[in-house]
Amino acid sequence: MKAKILKALIAAFGVNAALFAVFFFDLDGKLLFYVVEPFLKKHYDNMERKDMTKTPYDINTPKYEYNV
Amino acid sequence: MKYDIKKLAHDFWYGKPHEERRLGDLYIDKTGLYKHREWRGVKDTMYYFYNIWLYNYIHMVADVMKYGGVINFAKGVWRYRWVGQTYLPVLHWFDRGMEGMRGEALKASAWHYRGMVNATITQFMRMFSADTKLHGGKKNDLYYHTMACKETVWGGMFYPWTADGDFQYVPLEMIPYFVTCHVNSHTVHNYIDAVQSIGLPGDPCPMCQAEAGLYVLDDMPDYSPYLITCNEACDGSVGTAILQDWFSNKPLFALGMPMLFDDPLVKKNCMNEIEQCWKFVEEQTGVPFNWDNMVKGITRQNEITEFEFEKWEVAAKTDYYPVNGVAQALYRIYSSQYGDLEIWHFCDKKVRKILDKCVRNKINSFPKTRHRVIAWSCAPLYYSNWCTWAYNCWGLNVIINMDSLMFAMTIRTDSYEHCLEDCAQYHMWAPMRRMAVGGLHHIFELWDNMEKFNCDMVMMYDQLQCKGMQGVHGLFEDEFRERNIHAIWMPHALPDSRTVSRMEIRRLINDYMTTVMHEEPLDPTLVEFDDSMIW
Repeated sequence: MKAKILKALIAAFGVNAALFAVFFFDLDGKLLFYVVEPFLKKHYDNMERKDMTKTPYDINTPKYEYNV
Repeated sequence: MKYDIKKLAHDFWYGKPHEERRLGDLYIDKTGLYKHREWRGVKDTMYYFYNIWLYNYIHMVADVMKYGGVINFAKGVWRYRWVGQTYLPVLHWFDRGMEGMRGEALKASAWHYRGMVNATITQFMRMFSADTKLHGGKKNDLYYHTMACKETVWGGMFYPWTADGDFQYVPLEMIPYFVTCHVNSHTVHNYIDAVQSIGLPGDPCPMCQAEAGLYVLDDMPDYSPYLITCNEACDGSVGTAILQDWFSNKPLFALGMPMLFDDPLVKKNCMNEIEQCWKFVEEQTGVPFNWDNMVKGITRQNEITEFEFEKWEVAAKTDYYPVNGVAQALYRIYSSQYGDLEIWHFCDKKVRKILDKCVRNKINSFPKTRHRVIAWSCAPLYYSNWCTWAYNCWGLNVIINMDSLMFAMTIRTDSYEHCLEDCAQYHMWAPMRRMAVGGLHHIFELWDNMEKFNCDMVMMYDQLQCKGMQGVHGLFEDEFRERNIHAIWMPHALPDSRTVSRMEIRRLINDYMTTVMHEEPLDPTLVEFDDSMIW
């Protein structure tokens, strides 16, 4: 039992230390800046998009007939 | 090299004194990333790590799960540039706003940011959950229970349908455009360029350009069967609404906002327009106006406003206000424009505790204040955290700003007529209207507020593409001279960081502080640095 608690404490400490290293050295920022954002930008730049300018002009004509 | 062990130990435990921090040395050139995050002393570093950085990462995941689930989120990230490119680095937005903050200022300002993060996730998750583009064209139940309006329409207008949770109000551009500019200023350039690519000239308001550009790039979720537009702040918004009407092809109600709102007859007309808008919503939803819901929503919103008034009292009359300039500005404009949300009450409760403690124990959270600054007109969205830099570098403490003061009113609920009248007033006091293009009397409310908040300096925003405010530039120049007020003009192009860079903004402030004020920087490493690629 004691060994299990000790293991859990060591694991918790290890996770804490690893997260603190990510935080302190701004590793989350660096990952997002150098890897994630360029990857996503490439994806968005190459996405097929609908040509919105082909939307017809003859749209719903609103009826403003409110009697309030 | 000799080390003073006692001093090293002191700096480790308590953090370095302001003048020795050398925050500029922490940046990686151009990117704004940190070689390492700031060491603020054991207590504040651990607070930042556990209660801000970790807390917010965990709660962001929890919010996504709560408001629509990971699958909807992943689909949204893959489909829409404004969410994927912008909101992942949100903790860096915290870093930029919270640089150099210590103790109660760090805590109170971070709670404001937490409120905004939750409000943002609530909205984009609702968009994704209801979006036909993410669900194979299917119009689900949420689609029929979501109201889409232009971001300049105050959300409280729809409490009769939203206050009991049956419907949700999600402004069209608040999340895809407005908030993105603060978090990652690069995203919006795509939308500005897109609308110019179909022929719009480059000089209209870039806010209106970006809002229309979202549609040109087909990057706007389809989450509601109808939409309500508005001409606020100017004719640029009318142009945006025309394009939105074309691209959306849905029933649309154009809610007008008068230019001269002090005239009682104009106010009557505005009340009538609001009632027409309510009628339109009734017809579209099939659900009648619910007065009890209106009272419920307004009452809760009034609680938020009353606490804001208390905060202003402390900011105006004491040195114990613990909220920094950027947190004050963004939280206030966000909450007053969107309307009631549970998270505002939660965060206000936390901030009240901190505020009470600061007043009770006379804690000055900004001890290096050299000048109490009021910021006037519309701010550069891509550099809203300039106030944090200005305090760290020069001791310029932004106490209050124009956007915070716009909606300075509670709304009566003692009768339908009073409520409608106040709703019209609130609607007309909208951002960029009351004190920006709302007429001479209102733009000059600056002088009263400067006195009220005990400020000795003005940071005068100069939105280069706002034809309204450009027109009164000279009037302000004359008045500043006449009243012998120190005012620094800050040119910018609202969301577009390419027109006036952050570096250029800092240079203008640096020049004024050295050549006019003859002052020395508190932290010389912050005077000049290159952050041209920063989010």
